[in-house]
Amino acid sequence: MLARMRWSLAPSVRSVPLASLAPFALTALLAAQGPPHNGPRPVDPGWFAFTGGKVVRAAGQAAAEATVVVRDGRIVAVEPGGPPPGATVVDCAGLVLYPGLIEPWYPSDVPALDPARSDQHWNPMVQPQRDARDGALVAAADREALRKLGFALAAAVPSGGILKGTAAVVLLDEPAATAPVRVVRDRAFAAASLQTSRDGYPDSEMGAIALLRQSLADGQWFDRCRAAVAKDPALAGRAPQPSAALQALADQRTLPLWCDAQDELQALRLLAVAAEFERPAVVVGSGMEFRRLAAIAATKAAFVVPLAFPDAPDVATAAAAERTSLRQLQSWEQAPTNSKRLLDAGVTVAWTTARLRDRKDFLANVREAMACGVTADEALAALTTVPARLLGIDAHAGSLAAGQLANLVLVAGGGLFDEKAEVREVWVGGVRHVVARPKDEGLDGAWAWRDGWPGGEAATPPVVTIDGDKLTCALGDAKLTVAAVQRDGTTLTCRLAGKEIGMDGEHWLRLFVASDGLRGAVTTPDGRTVAVRCERAPKPADAAEAPKDGDGKTADADGKAKGKDAAKPARKPAPPSLDPLPTPLGGYGFVALPDAAPFAIVGATLWTVEAAGIVRDGALVAQDGRILYAGPRAGMPPLPPGTTTIDGKGLHVTPGLIDCHSHTGIRRGVNESGQAVTAEVRIADVLDPDDVSWYRQLAGGVTAVNQLHGSANAIGGQSQTTKVRYGVANPEDMHLHGAQPGMKWALGENPRGANGPGGGRYPQTRMGVEALIRDRIAAAIAWRREQDAYEALVPFRRAAVLPPRRDLELEAMAEIVGGRRWIHCHSYRQDEIFMLCQLKAEHGAMRIGTFQHVLEGYKVADAIAKAGAGASSFSDWWGYKFEVFDAIADNAAILHEQGVLVSINSDSDEHARRLNTEAAKAVKYGRVAPHEALMFVTANPAKQLGVFAQTGSLTAGKDADVALWSADPLSYDAICTATWVDGRQLFSLARDAECRVRILQERTRLLQRAAAGGAKGRTAKAGDPKDAYWAAEDLTEDYCCRNLMGGR
Amino acid sequence: MHLLRTSCALAALSVFALKGLAQDLLHKGAPQQAPVVLRNASLHTVSSGVLLGGTLWFQDGVLRGVHPAGEEPKLPDGAQPVVVDLQGKHVFPGMVAVGSQLGLVEIGSVRQTVDTDEVGELSPEALALVAVNPDTTGFPVTRQNGVLASVLFPTGGLLPGRASAIELDGWTNAELSVVADVGVVVGWPARGGGGFGRRGMRGTATGGGGDDGEATKKARQRIDDAFAAARSWLDAYVADATIPIDVRHQALVSALRGEARVFLLASEQEQIESAVRWAVGRGLRAVVVGGRDAVACADLLRRHAVPVVVTGVHRLPTRDDAAYDEAFTLPKRLQDAGVRFCIACGGEPSNERNLPYHAATAAAFGLGRDRALAAVTLDAAEIAGVGEQLGSLSVGKHATLFVADGHPFDLSTRIEQAYVRGRAIDLRSKHSELAAKYRARYRQLRGK
Repeated sequence: MLARMRWSLAPSVRSVPLASLAPFALTALLAAQGPPHNGPRPVDPGWFAFTGGKVVRAAGQAAAEATVVVRDGRIVAVEPGGPPPGATVVDCAGLVLYPGLIEPWYPSDVPALDPARSDQHWNPMVQPQRDARDGALVAAADREALRKLGFALAAAVPSGGILKGTAAVVLLDEPAATAPVRVVRDRAFAAASLQTSRDGYPDSEMGAIALLRQSLADGQWFDRCRAAVAKDPALAGRAPQPSAALQALADQRTLPLWCDAQDELQALRLLAVAAEFERPAVVVGSGMEFRRLAAIAATKAAFVVPLAFPDAPDVATAAAAERTSLRQLQSWEQAPTNSKRLLDAGVTVAWTTARLRDRKDFLANVREAMACGVTADEALAALTTVPARLLGIDAHAGSLAAGQLANLVLVAGGGLFDEKAEVREVWVGGVRHVVARPKDEGLDGAWAWRDGWPGGEAATPPVVTIDGDKLTCALGDAKLTVAAVQRDGTTLTCRLAGKEIGMDGEHWLRLFVASDGLRGAVTTPDGRTVAVRCERAPKPADAAEAPKDGDGKTADADGKAKGKDAAKPARKPAPPSLDPLPTPLGGYGFVALPDAAPFAIVGATLWTVEAAGIVRDGALVAQDGRILYAGPRAGMPPLPPGTTTIDGKGLHVTPGLIDCHSHTGIRRGVNESGQAVTAEVRIADVLDPDDVSWYRQLAGGVTAVNQLHGSANAIGGQSQTTKVRYGVANPEDMHLHGAQPGMKWALGENPRGANGPGGGRYPQTRMGVEALIRDRIAAAIAWRREQDAYEALVPFRRAAVLPPRRDLELEAMAEIVGGRRWIHCHSYRQDEIFMLCQLKAEHGAMRIGTFQHVLEGYKVADAIAKAGAGASSFSDWWGYKFEVFDAIADNAAILHEQGVLVSINSDSDEHARRLNTEAAKAVKYGRVAPHEALMFVTANPAKQLGVFAQTGSLTAGKDADVALWSADPLSYDAICTATWVDGRQLFSLARDAECRVRILQERTRLLQRAAAGGAKGRTAKAGDPKDAYWAAEDLTEDYCCRNLMGGR
Repeated sequence: MHLLRTSCALAALSVFALKGLAQDLLHKGAPQQAPVVLRNASLHTVSSGVLLGGTLWFQDGVLRGVHPAGEEPKLPDGAQPVVVDLQGKHVFPGMVAVGSQLGLVEIGSVRQTVDTDEVGELSPEALALVAVNPDTTGFPVTRQNGVLASVLFPTGGLLPGRASAIELDGWTNAELSVVADVGVVVGWPARGGGGFGRRGMRGTATGGGGDDGEATKKARQRIDDAFAAARSWLDAYVADATIPIDVRHQALVSALRGEARVFLLASEQEQIESAVRWAVGRGLRAVVVGGRDAVACADLLRRHAVPVVVTGVHRLPTRDDAAYDEAFTLPKRLQDAGVRFCIACGGEPSNERNLPYHAATAAAFGLGRDRALAAVTLDAAEIAGVGEQLGSLSVGKHATLFVADGHPFDLSTRIEQAYVRGRAIDLRSKHSELAAKYRARYRQLRGK
């Protein structure tokens, strides 16, 4: 790798010596590269002295007068005093000099690799061997756009893919035709994202994470194999076949991994994977990091954030306003505070122009961020020193100091971030790029056309008004048509026409500044050229009384009127508040999570779901998140100090309900349907703590759920048992630790794809489903054997063999076979249920946690009981597809009668809010005793998920996961009045009422603000692709669609 | 005498006590031969309160007497009534499921069993009654929970077809029928596109589809054009009966004459407002079906006395920050706003049996049980156009009612007997028989 770097540096550095500043080294380098000159070699000493300006040496330092001396593309001195003899002087009077800005993330088009080549990765999303230098680096138009903003360097990174390849830091100058782009650093970092595929694996975010994880593991494995072969060439015969992709991954093991995150949750997920593989990481964010600030700050990662702020939500109609969620409004309003909040939280922040609709908005957005509190020093750091450090080029760029590349920004009109600032020049590696020449104000103003008017006799002299690149020409009320205005220093040219005043055809005018006003010539359509002289027009006594033209502006004072507009901008709305935001952002989040303060519910009916049964006039006491006591009031212990006592008279207390089949809070894809076996994908990777359904389920007494992969695959993904800890900082804070790991499997119509368009994906029959499962079990057993054999070797022996590949799919499958991970199997018909019971009999250790849905379970309850499997069913759904035509509402009851551990689940964000009455249907249809029916949504799912030791019943010592009800919980009269998770009251009717008041106030305020178009006066249109931040938020949730997605 | 008669009634019911039949093999109720007297019951009349210890009787399928305690029915001379002492049990009018596809759909995902959606956007000629399968497994399953009648809606398109009111027991479509044509269903498009048919009925928001409103405008125009054309045809036909029949125009005649309703599938505010203004402008009898935003249109709905069918209480809120109980409280909020309404399920036909539970949730969330019961019985019947036949225990109405040991909103309640137009019906179903069959299997396994 080192060798490669050295080699690659040589041709890429034309005049910028990186290794050494000694002039002889430069000479040597120059001599070593480039084609021979066609003729005598040009000699350019590149020796400049920038004098008379104020110099900001680096972020954090005040502007001070100094002379910057540049030679051969590098800064050689920044000190007070005059220019050294021999240097060309650049007069910087009135200008401020800054270090050239650094764009750390420029997505660059790099051609996709040829899929036909044998050494590519099997998945086209994995192309780590790409190098930004294989592509166009920075497109010409973008080079210019970036320079206009003051950028001198950019890191070009291949766009597209999950493992995108490596970035190159390049100078943003215009290379000569024969010379390559100047690369300051190649392989600055490797880039990763969670992009999904439209037509294959991975088509979900969890699939993308799985593929990323597997690829990084493969890179490590390839590296170890390589090392083993190097040590013992005899192993070469069994070594992995050469692979450019894996080799690149192996070579990149120590490179920083830059994580291209579409939202703040992806940032956390990508960082977690990077940490798993011990890769230093930088996040390229979405600008929405403030929504998960505490979690983001805790990662300690540096963030490159775009200064792209969403447009105001479309509130053109009452209906559109009604559809706009508070979270959407808050996200829009708060977006400009993102950098300020990150900086205050101690996060390292660099800025990028990437993801902006138009780079021209960048500096205005910088000012908007600064209006929210980002200081000028922080802003400059985010554009210079911070990106330089992140890119590992701080020895070369980021400040104005001897030894640095001669990257300078010359700014007129004040500091770089002032509203009136104008970037004049950008010096890129010692090469001058003029961005805007100083305007010769000698041209600007209103001029009376005295001599050479081509339009015949005029009673009053025509008036020419010049304002920058705008020119108007009027004769009385008549206005001429003006075209092609071009200004170059003291000269201006344009075309004029005015048929109505006798100037038929195009006239060519040129004007230049003369001592007595403007002089020049006009060329008429018939080819005559007439000398022109203009004098300053007398200032009108009162512009307001001057005749108005059609635009409502005074014709002869147009420029002045504009000036007036500019001087008095519309009053800007106050910057948004920097108060702490609730987590999750939206109507129901918490600014601070409630404490697990001791509480007691006294005099209520307790549904213990333990042997104690239903205790009337009972008491429940909780402290430090645990249940201290649950039993008759008479036996209640002394209450801990500070206990909040709730009068439970007439109320009912149950354990928090547990939903054994949920698709709530699974972000960007419930199914990874790109393959029929996806044991490697993990729901835990994509847990969405922002889903408002969590809150709604708390309002239905739910405190834990089994988040399941969908049913598209015979072997789906790893499930996640989750506590409904709405409002915690990190997604993983919701994990219910200690739960039995699980995996979703699916039998029948869904994995067959029977309700879809059909096609060639295996399996298409129940026979194929069975065969596929058998195959993967066999593969997992073989894989495990190989792993075990390797792990049994003493370390020095291990070094002498090729390590086995870590296969995340088979690793999870081996856990299944070994019984360490339980199967939760979507199933309907008795034959398929029976099949899996048989399979379980063949693999004794394997454990079926639950058959899910299991709507014909009542037909084979004995087999299910014998297999030791649980059953988790709907209460009464049937008839929606063929395999549920024999579903009956007695199913749960019959399974229960036959000794099967039964739970009732929702499979629906809506039903999940009513699990208590869903369980009660077992009382209605199957005559199950009420207390036992409540177990279907408490103790039994807890057992099926392996968490009964912690939750699922009212027992001293268990987690204080408790729901309080206004009436018998098995009745539709019961309204959940409060819910505690780990002793924290996360829902109560009282707080809910407060939230509603706050939501109304906030909505009212924000909708008014959005209606005014926000600070920028731009309004998003529905379907605007730039609003990708919000794409994941379903404003309307049709639960049927959702269910089909989950695949009930 | 009464006790003797009771045993006769039980004997009559035992006709159905055949084991092991799949539901579609079950018999329908036999025509009522003798007057039936239900004594000593809590009569939940809906129209005039609860009569404790009351008595009712019916003959030829029609309620002839509803009496408070102490008032004896006056049976015709020489009648040989079947008298049942209900010992304080409860009698309710059968619930009416408005807007369902019971009998039009057997299995939702199997196209061959779905008869709801005719070709084209304008198919008012499609009449639901024609396609109802009297032997559908759905009827007995739904009846088990006291839902004894339904108003069936064809689905899909701008004018999906005409709704038919049926009772859920009968050998033939004619026996099922209450009113063949209660009105025409109108899938009034939502601005923003996509709001036709079932989607609109389910109350899902349809905005934001990138439609500039032109498509919506045109679609609404097509609906109006269809009614205008039918009007012209009707005027011509009345003047000159030799003009050929146009079955599509003809299908709209009863709605144009105000004899039948127009069921406007509309949930969003603008959708409801435009739909109602259109229907009122054309002199049609409008009913809004869906009605999610109907509270916001209360003034308009009240002024024109347009009622709302709330299609589903068990729904998610529309927006992230909307109240979690937004759908649960919709009926109560409509009531407070003075808008007439009833409650329907608005989902798959297999779930129509949960109608009482939608109402029960609305009851708990502010509506109260009496109003909620009316919302699935009398109000549902009246709003859907069968108020003369169904919805309350009132003299002259169909004897379509059920006997229960409690309130149908309670999950502990068992529905013990039911009558459809006076016919004692079998309350077993495919479900109850499958349950019995497999419980028998486990008894076999134990050698019992």
